[in-house]
Amino acid sequence: MEQLTFPGTLDALEPIRKYVEAAAQSAGLDRKAVYKLCLAVDEIATNVALYGYEEAGLSGDFKIEASVDGDSLVIQLEDHGKPYDPNFHVGPDAGDLSQPLETRKVGGLGILLAQDGVDNLQYSATEQGNVHRFTVRLPRT
Amino acid sequence: MPLQMSSSVEGKTARLNLEGELDGASATSVRDAVENILQGRPERLVLAVEKLTFMASAGLRILIFAKQKQPGLKVYLVKPQEVVVDTLKKTGFYQSVYVVDGEEEING
Repeated sequence: MEQLTFPGTLDALEPIRKYVEAAAQSAGLDRKAVYKLCLAVDEIATNVALYGYEEAGLSGDFKIEASVDGDSLVIQLEDHGKPYDPNFHVGPDAGDLSQPLETRKVGGLGILLAQDGVDNLQYSATEQGNVHRFTVRLPRT
Repeated sequence: MPLQMSSSVEGKTARLNLEGELDGASATSVRDAVENILQGRPERLVLAVEKLTFMASAGLRILIFAKQKQPGLKVYLVKPQEVVVDTLKKTGFYQSVYVVDGEEEING
């Protein structure tokens, strides 16, 4: 699909989801897989908008592009915010997740959902900016 | 679909109706609504979410906020969509809230 550019703010979340939803449906993912991929991209885009751009005092765009690579759908999300590798994030473990909400820590749930929503989440910091690649294997036809 | 929200209070039960998509952009208004509701010290917070089609972790943080602001508050989710239930289960929230099929299941 054609690459699109959105401002690097929370206002971009809805159009980003619409883009991902259209790409995922077009690629033949079922309803649940479409939702989980949208959620994964949304969670990372939220973190980039809040922490990569706003909290870091930076501004910039999101560039998003969907493509089919072999038997997989790949969503590539680029930004120029403060680099952060979600795969190095130490998220909540089973013990944390079983805590009652009254004593729960707030952080880490978004990255957990992002990693859960795809078959592979890759991150790279390049001269062109930060690149997240969300890969989902397509159903066999 | 942008988030639509309405609220009501009946006795010790506060009700928040959420329709559309709850993401990082719309979560602030929901959190504010919950904070206002909790000022009345309800015993039950009923979230009518049958038409909530998307919920990001920002929605989960609102549940944490409510339970930490008022420990002992009973939080009910009425008819959440399957994908929202999946998120609740994946993150361990499912056992901390009451998921019900209808408001007639809400009591005491």
